Amino acid sequence: MKSNKKTAIIISIAMIAAAIGYLIFGNFGKNLVYFFTPSEVSAFTQDRYGKKVRVAGLVVKQSLKVDPQTKNINFELTDGAAVIPVSFTGVPPDLFKEGQGAVVEGYWEADRRLHSEMIMAKHSEDYMPPDMKKEGKTLPKKDFFKTLKMD
Amino acid sequence: MIIELGHLAVITALVLAMIGIVVPVIGIKKQKAVWIEIGRQAVTLNFFLLTLGMAAMIYAYVTQDYSVKYVAATSNSKLPIFYKIAGLWGGHEGSLLLWAWILSAYCALAVWIHWKTQPVVIPYLIAMESLILSGFLLLILFLSNPFERLLSAPPDGRDLNPLLQDPAMVGHPPMLYMGYVGLSIPFCFAMAALFSGRLGEEWIKVTQRWTLLAWISLTTGILMGGYWAYYELGWGGYWGWDPVENAAFMPWLVATAFLHSVMVQETRKMFKVWNLFLIILAFSLSLIGTFLVRSGVLSSVHSFATDPGRGLFILSFLAFMLILSFGTLIFRSNKLKSNIEMDSMVSRESVFLFNNLFFLVAMITVFIGTLYPLLTEALKFKKVSVGPPYYNAVFMPIALGLIFLMGVGPYIPWRKASFESLKKQFLFPLIFAGAGMILFAIVGIRDLYALSGLTVVSFVLASIVLDFKRISSFLAKQRKITALQGFYTSFRQNPRRVAGIITHIGVLIMVVGIIFSTIYQTEKVVILKPGEEVVLKSYRIKLIRLYEVEGPNWQAQEGSFQVYQGDALITRLYPQKRLYPVSQTPTTETALHQIYMGHLFLTIPEVAPDGSWARVRALFNPLILWVWYGGGVMVFGGLLNIFRPKRKEVYAAHSTEASLPEGVPGIPQLSSKRMTQE
Repeated sequence: MKSNKKTAIIISIAMIAAAIGYLIFGNFGKNLVYFFTPSEVSAFTQDRYGKKVRVAGLVVKQSLKVDPQTKNINFELTDGAAVIPVSFTGVPPDLFKEGQGAVVEGYWEADRRLHSEMIMAKHSEDYMPPDMKKEGKTLPKKDFFKTLKMD
Repeated sequence: MIIELGHLAVITALVLAMIGIVVPVIGIKKQKAVWIEIGRQAVTLNFFLLTLGMAAMIYAYVTQDYSVKYVAATSNSKLPIFYKIAGLWGGHEGSLLLWAWILSAYCALAVWIHWKTQPVVIPYLIAMESLILSGFLLLILFLSNPFERLLSAPPDGRDLNPLLQDPAMVGHPPMLYMGYVGLSIPFCFAMAALFSGRLGEEWIKVTQRWTLLAWISLTTGILMGGYWAYYELGWGGYWGWDPVENAAFMPWLVATAFLHSVMVQETRKMFKVWNLFLIILAFSLSLIGTFLVRSGVLSSVHSFATDPGRGLFILSFLAFMLILSFGTLIFRSNKLKSNIEMDSMVSRESVFLFNNLFFLVAMITVFIGTLYPLLTEALKFKKVSVGPPYYNAVFMPIALGLIFLMGVGPYIPWRKASFESLKKQFLFPLIFAGAGMILFAIVGIRDLYALSGLTVVSFVLASIVLDFKRISSFLAKQRKITALQGFYTSFRQNPRRVAGIITHIGVLIMVVGIIFSTIYQTEKVVILKPGEEVVLKSYRIKLIRLYEVEGPNWQAQEGSFQVYQGDALITRLYPQKRLYPVSQTPTTETALHQIYMGHLFLTIPEVAPDGSWARVRALFNPLILWVWYGGGVMVFGGLLNIFRPKRKEVYAAHSTEASLPEGVPGIPQLSSKRMTQE
């Protein structure tokens, strides 16, 4: 009798584990967002259009424009080699500025623009005096938080 | 001068800590008490030395000694005194010092309390705690020294990160560290049990209150962090599955599992190896958590490269601790074959088993999500991030399962439950939950998570109320007292159980708060010019004007808003967009208005330089305060558990009787189950 119960327990544990394992792996791949550089993005072919990506780069100086009507933000993002245009709707983070580093999450569409609703800004390396780099690491956290709002 | 004194004190502490590792071991080997006494003195002295080190740092902050590099980096003369002191744990070096100080305090306290009663365990405890302390002090002194001086002192400090200039942030790190470090006491007791071979239930009983204290601190720390994120970061949520949050959440999950599974060992002498495994895991996770957050690996693996020494040391120390503790467990655990088998699937033991399974799986879920991006980046694959939808999709069902078990576990008998007893206990809660579900669906709660969550909550609530009512009225009848007195008597008879269930009630309150404030949150983001308004639910939020204001160490653009419901003005709100000029950091200051237990939440994340318009973000977060009220009740339950009165009556009973505590005498199906143990 005893071994029967043991089997029952093992089976039920295995079933739960399998169910949760399925949940984990089923959702894991779906929710991975890959990072790209502006150069990589500008080389995207059609099959990459419309997939969620994160692009890290510098906001090009004098490229930032706020649409007078919608107050949407348009700017350019660069990694030094390539420049891509970004259309952003939403709330820009506190540290978002021209000449600063930013991670932009969005979709690269057929109009060859990055359409984004989420930006994470950070102090870019050259902005900070070398000593400040250490604290700089905690600074972007705020925006990181903000952007991870539950939905 | 003072700072050098503090530095010297910490160096001495390192030497003493290293002595503290060796001396007790010699004492055990040679069977000489004097060696162990030396260990005790080292532990006590270390606490005073590290206190001196902390005091020296605080002195430097208060006297604005910017020749100390770390002080210059985290403070400023304009900073209020409160935040000057808190600047100590505003960065990497100081928070490690705080960690070490808390560890030394706990250790001194534990040795002081248990010196007489636990002579066998104490030497191992001293050795293990000294080992951990040595690791941290090495890291502090050689790789991140807060006492380091600058050759030429700057005229003023670079300011504490403005986001940390907040009351919740002053208390949050110490609380969290008290939790992390607090787990080291049961961990060391467990290791001592493994080394000394005294693997009974003793270490668990002795460390019960320590574990609870650690759990309470962790819970409070996490809650404070959530509240800080909620209003200081201005994003209107409190939990984002951010790696830093996850680092604190993982040890919490395992510690909670441990708090539950020890009860099985106490009552049924099962799960022996499992409990050792859990506490070792919990403490390892708090080490991992501290290091992940404090080494900077989380924001980027590249930060390892900026200081390879630190990263290497941290990794090696972690690896050493993991191998030592899990290795000992593996080598010693063969002694621990528990010869008691589970009697039935339908029993409290098995509920505990599933409770543990769920907690562990929850931890693994978080672990994978947190570390996968680090792993891929370290292995030079593609950089990647794991989004909150992953956590939400996996975590929600697990959480539902756990909440459901909360309504079953405390009310199902040990060993084997009969169909009759199940019916008696669970029929009403099930019907109640079913009725609740229909009612919720009728009033318009159609979201799958919200509906299932609230249904499970009502099931648990009904279970709790039914049980309380039954015990109270039973005791009331037996002793001819009122039901309320009966309830109090049941608390006196089994305070641990009642306190535990109060914690469960706190969880329920929090779950309701989470469901409403996330699923039924309403958000509007608009551009407003002065005089314009935005409608959110039944409220009209009108921007009156935008103007500049100045604080002690910041300047801001402030918006003046009026909130109307219908035509009635209900409140005025003043959110700000601030700039801290010293560090050139902009922040968004939130304005809140409480409506019942919810919040109207207003920020102006962007203001036109000429003040002609502002981007306004308005949120309505229903029942959001329940998240923290529930947390408060959880902590209250925990405190009640720590300071619980000794069990009345049952306590004095025969030992086998006392080892079967959960059942309240008089509930028939429980007392009839008291058989002798094989």
